[in-house]
Amino acid sequence: MRRQHRSRRAPTFPHGYRYRLDDQDEANQNYLADEEEEAEEEARVMGVPNGQGQPTGNTWWQKLQLMNEYLWDPEQRMSLARTGQSWSLILVIYFFFYASLAAVITVCMYTLFLTISTYMPTFTERVKPPGVMIRPFAHSLNFNFNVSEPDTWQHYVISLNGFLQGYNDSLQEEMNVDCPPGQYFIQDGNEDEDKKACQFKRSFLKNCSGLEDPTFGYSTGQPCILLKMNRIVGFRPELGDPVKVSCKVQRGDENDIRSINYYPESASFDLRYYPYYGKLTHVNYTSPLVAMHFTDVVKNQVVPVQCQLKGKGIINDVINDHFVGRVIFTLNIET
Amino acid sequence: FQKTPEIYSVELSGTKDVKKTDKGDGKQKYRGLKNKCSNFRKNDQIEEIKEELDLDDHKLSSEELEKRYGTNIITGLSSARAAELLARMGPMPSTLPRRPRDCQDVMCLTFPWRDLVLGSGSLLSLTPLLITQVYLGAVLALVVILTGIFAYYQEAKSTNIMASFSKMIPQQALVIRDAEKKTIPSEQLVVGDIVEIKGGDQIPADIRLLSSQGCKVDNSSLTGESEPQSRSCDFTHDNPLETKNIGFYSTTCLEGTATGMVINTGDRTIIGQIASLASGVGNEKTPIAIEIEHFVHIVAGVAVSIGIIFFIIAVSMKYPVLYSIIFLIGIIVANVPEGLLATVTVTLSLTAKRMAKKNCLVKNLEAVETLGSTSIICSDKTGTLTQNRMTVAHLWFDNQIFMADTSEDHSNQIFDQSSETWASLAKIITLCNRAEFKPGQESIPIMKKTVVGDASETALLKFSEVILGDVMEVRKRNRKVAEIPFNSTNKFQLSIHETDDPNDKRFLMVMKGAPERILEKCSTIMINGQEQPLDQSTAKAFHTAYMELGGLGERVLGFCHLYLPADEFPETYSFDIDTMNFPTSSLCFVGLLSMIDPPRSTVPDAVTKCRSAGIKVIMVTGDHPITAKAIARSVGIISANSETVEDIAKRLNIAVEQVNEWDAKAAVVTGMELKDMSQEQLDELLANHSEIVFARTSPQQKLIIVEGCQRLGAVVAVTGDGVNDSPALKKADIGIAMGIAGSDAAKNAADMVLLDDNFASIVTGVEEGRLIFDNLKKTIAYTLTKNIAELCPFLIYIIVGLPLPIGTITILFIDLGTDIIPSIALAYEKAESDIMNRKPRHKKKDRLVNKPLALYSYLHVGLMQSLGAFVVYFTVYSQEGFRPSTLIGLRLEWEKHSVNDLEDSYGQEWTRYQRQYLEWTGYTAFFIAIMVQQIADLIIRKTRRNSIFQQGLFRNKVIWVGIASQIIIALILSYGLGSITALNFTMLRAQYWFVAVPYAILIWVYDEVRKFFIRLYPGGWWDKNMYY
Repeated sequence: MRRQHRSRRAPTFPHGYRYRLDDQDEANQNYLADEEEEAEEEARVMGVPNGQGQPTGNTWWQKLQLMNEYLWDPEQRMSLARTGQSWSLILVIYFFFYASLAAVITVCMYTLFLTISTYMPTFTERVKPPGVMIRPFAHSLNFNFNVSEPDTWQHYVISLNGFLQGYNDSLQEEMNVDCPPGQYFIQDGNEDEDKKACQFKRSFLKNCSGLEDPTFGYSTGQPCILLKMNRIVGFRPELGDPVKVSCKVQRGDENDIRSINYYPESASFDLRYYPYYGKLTHVNYTSPLVAMHFTDVVKNQVVPVQCQLKGKGIINDVINDHFVGRVIFTLNIET
Repeated sequence: FQKTPEIYSVELSGTKDVKKTDKGDGKQKYRGLKNKCSNFRKNDQIEEIKEELDLDDHKLSSEELEKRYGTNIITGLSSARAAELLARMGPMPSTLPRRPRDCQDVMCLTFPWRDLVLGSGSLLSLTPLLITQVYLGAVLALVVILTGIFAYYQEAKSTNIMASFSKMIPQQALVIRDAEKKTIPSEQLVVGDIVEIKGGDQIPADIRLLSSQGCKVDNSSLTGESEPQSRSCDFTHDNPLETKNIGFYSTTCLEGTATGMVINTGDRTIIGQIASLASGVGNEKTPIAIEIEHFVHIVAGVAVSIGIIFFIIAVSMKYPVLYSIIFLIGIIVANVPEGLLATVTVTLSLTAKRMAKKNCLVKNLEAVETLGSTSIICSDKTGTLTQNRMTVAHLWFDNQIFMADTSEDHSNQIFDQSSETWASLAKIITLCNRAEFKPGQESIPIMKKTVVGDASETALLKFSEVILGDVMEVRKRNRKVAEIPFNSTNKFQLSIHETDDPNDKRFLMVMKGAPERILEKCSTIMINGQEQPLDQSTAKAFHTAYMELGGLGERVLGFCHLYLPADEFPETYSFDIDTMNFPTSSLCFVGLLSMIDPPRSTVPDAVTKCRSAGIKVIMVTGDHPITAKAIARSVGIISANSETVEDIAKRLNIAVEQVNEWDAKAAVVTGMELKDMSQEQLDELLANHSEIVFARTSPQQKLIIVEGCQRLGAVVAVTGDGVNDSPALKKADIGIAMGIAGSDAAKNAADMVLLDDNFASIVTGVEEGRLIFDNLKKTIAYTLTKNIAELCPFLIYIIVGLPLPIGTITILFIDLGTDIIPSIALAYEKAESDIMNRKPRHKKKDRLVNKPLALYSYLHVGLMQSLGAFVVYFTVYSQEGFRPSTLIGLRLEWEKHSVNDLEDSYGQEWTRYQRQYLEWTGYTAFFIAIMVQQIADLIIRKTRRNSIFQQGLFRNKVIWVGIASQIIIALILSYGLGSITALNFTMLRAQYWFVAVPYAILIWVYDEVRKFFIRLYPGGWWDKNMYY
């Protein structure tokens, strides 16, 4: 069809412009041969003439089939567009790559730990100043109980008893040494040497030791609450000025708490319990405690209590952290 | 369909001959396509429009018109009736409908991101139990909104440039109403108004001419015909587009005056209809949009599948479902590169800016890349490939063909000017010419001066001005005494002058015209200044020269002169041009001169570049095949040594039918042939010929050609300037409108505007487009890498139960903070190799994000980054007291707010807030580690194959700005804003900044090794799997 048109079109070309082509005929032949391949390739890239482009099925079924073929192509024995050989090659390469990465990481971590002492943390500034925690503790800092209903306070007693097992006088005497009060218990020597710990006997807590009153005062509406300062390796309170504990009503009437007894009576953590040498060497270290005996608290009413540490180097007013140098809890003792 | 070469060689001022041919096939041009319409649906619509123009106003007499429109030709409409009509029909829009460029367009680009990010964001807000998560949701929402606004702002900026282009000057029309002439804004015209137009006016509506004085219009924007068309009040053709008594809205009246009646306004005008058709042609998704969608699918696939896997793991590990959902969201957030939308937009608009500097104004940002993937360019001839002005190309005198300089400034006329014949020829050229320079242009270079006169005469005037100097002065010295202007029956132009030699009292008669007509009138020929009798051999030489020049597609003119003997024609002789009382035969033939609209000097180079870039350049022109072919050859669209079927036939001296069609690389196809082709034949033609010229095509056929190319899977760029081109421009993957010659409708339909109408600018655009594709690849690879480093912590957190290594807010600070400027900086990266020497990317195969890219980014560099970051994390925690053995499984206790005496590896007890603060320190350390390694990642992404040292570490200064910005932002976040708890940053010890450095170096070394093997074994297994 096209040729017919050509014949019609042919005469429209004047003869004059032959001159150019005549000179270049020879070149033409070579050039055309060269270009043939390229043209073929081009046609292939264009993807039309052989019509083997991607099937353009729109239906789900066709897509599913395509997917299936992609997952496992039985003809070419390919899965996910790779043959078994290709898969094994790639897996081997990845294996070696990851193995060497793992080796690098292992070496790095190993060197890292070589530089870090097992006995002393490198930095302690994040854990300072010390936090404060109280016992008994059962998920909540609100002490609600009814004096006449043992069920409401029994778990406090159990918790305290459990906590104080480690402070039993017999145990303390057996494991720890009785060191002189009022001064640091400094133990020079190698880092990795075992350190001795000072005794903190349960009996120091007197009325709150649970020895005389096994209910820790809960049965009489005069609860005991134990306060401990978080352990920090190397932490030393100011010399001669042990950290003191003082509690008061946080908000509301000051007189809601009419009296608190502290045990030990100094209401302080004795200097002999410092410094702490870390759990690896200071195995039997028992944190010193201060027991607060709320002997006269307003009943049937929620009383917010704030207990603060006081002393040099102690911070108790961090806005975001309610447990640094202080602890806030509520008492609601019903009768 | 008969055409003779003479039509193209003889053309002075008239357009009659062309018109005749046009008229001959014009109807078929528009109607004939009907036969094949079933194949070409889109075109069918255009044809329908043509058919539906049941415009018969051109057939009616003025009385019938008056009756139809209720108007009076002399007094016009009454103001009252005009107002009534205006109210009924609505005002005529002053500009053509713009392509809607509102936020919808922006949505196209942002949508997938929105979907992902918003999806996770809204899911987050669905969990109001966790206040921090709601806060996070708000941050995410803010991010989405900000990036959306940013993208919109960028889009709007480029749209604004466009807006400045449209001529916003309100158009005025001179209208007769109530028997008075009034000037009103043209949008207030109504059907039936009588308007007057004069040269220079834009026709304010479709009008039926009632009277005309030498009125000529430029219909090029509508029909693509570049010749001025004369308009009269006679009905000359059935087709309204062809008849002479209709003037179309938005075309320009070039000269003369006319009175006409408005028959259509606004969208009902023919241009309005075509423009609205153009907006009906579906706008294809740009390749980059497809690529980005593909990329989003990959990212979404990875995110969702990992998310779901870990949701299941989390649930089976007895995490509460609510927590598991939060993990799912966290995984998705870590996987979505939030900053990429902004990055891509900025990258594209940076390139757009760069291209605008090179005269490519990009309207649609995404089109920046489209040009890069273009595999076929369908280019106009006139104006794009050529200079769009007639220029003297060859001269023939003394039996010799001389070449004239056709470059843009004509500066270098090297032909032999010593011959006497040249002196005579120059005189004829100068004198027998009515064109004049407009006054007041002394300082303007000759080639840029405005000329009053038609194209050929302008060419001759400028030619002689360049060579001889002041033409006007010469003319003054040789006073003109008589003149016969050109007309199509005579086919010559003649004038009689006094000579400038005071001793020579003879008159000089000079004549130019169709060569064969001129030769008929001659009996002698001037050779080397001597008159010789015109014998057989000289006549043959003339014919050979004439045919040769004609064969070059040039318009040939013959020149002759005669000194009138002084005794017969004394000084006082009065010449009468009507009775022709002077001889017009036995003249002396002096020479031939041929003109062509020469190719722009930059075009051949550009075409060669296109070819080496694997881009097929197809010429689509309304011009004659011979001219088209000649230009195609001279610019290299048909390369010097390839032949068409006809050429082969001629060379072998056999009939065209006997030539194997596939031997010919080149093809010249006329619109007539195209009309008779089936779709399959067209496909075959396009696929099998690498060099194609479509000649004598109607703008509608352009659409067919574009669709044919697209069926081949090509990305097609189309250039165009006329309104009729706008459907093709729209249909094309990238429509390129001409900034100078282009009509508003074309510019509206196009994605890009060439400010200088120069084809070479397209090549620049292609280069930029390819570069941006490569660089986007690098950007995405860079961005994806850290996703793994952001994702791994989450997975480890869920499975191993470590305290969370990096928080969501921190991830956002990487994605939208430190990483933004570096990833934009990659857009400034220079090409690694000559990007113009490779084939255009294959739409289906060469994806923006391919498997190697994803695997290498995720599983190689990404993983190394995560490991490096984890080492930093463990370093920080270990040095603070939590050794890895303690950390494993610690998550639950760690996060309990009530536990305020959590023991670490050394027996120290931590409050919740102290742990939290440590966790943030961990975040910061992890963040810094990723940042440090991203610096290495940035450096390795500079190249994909070459070594960094080949590329030059310092050539792209912006990269270093990026690196500096990363470090500065990190410093500010850590030390400046470290005290703001909401941001979860803390002041980090200085040494932690350097822990990840070895890993950064490791990444760099590893990538160099990768590139080394790629270069070592090109095409090998490693290359295939590791080159992205």
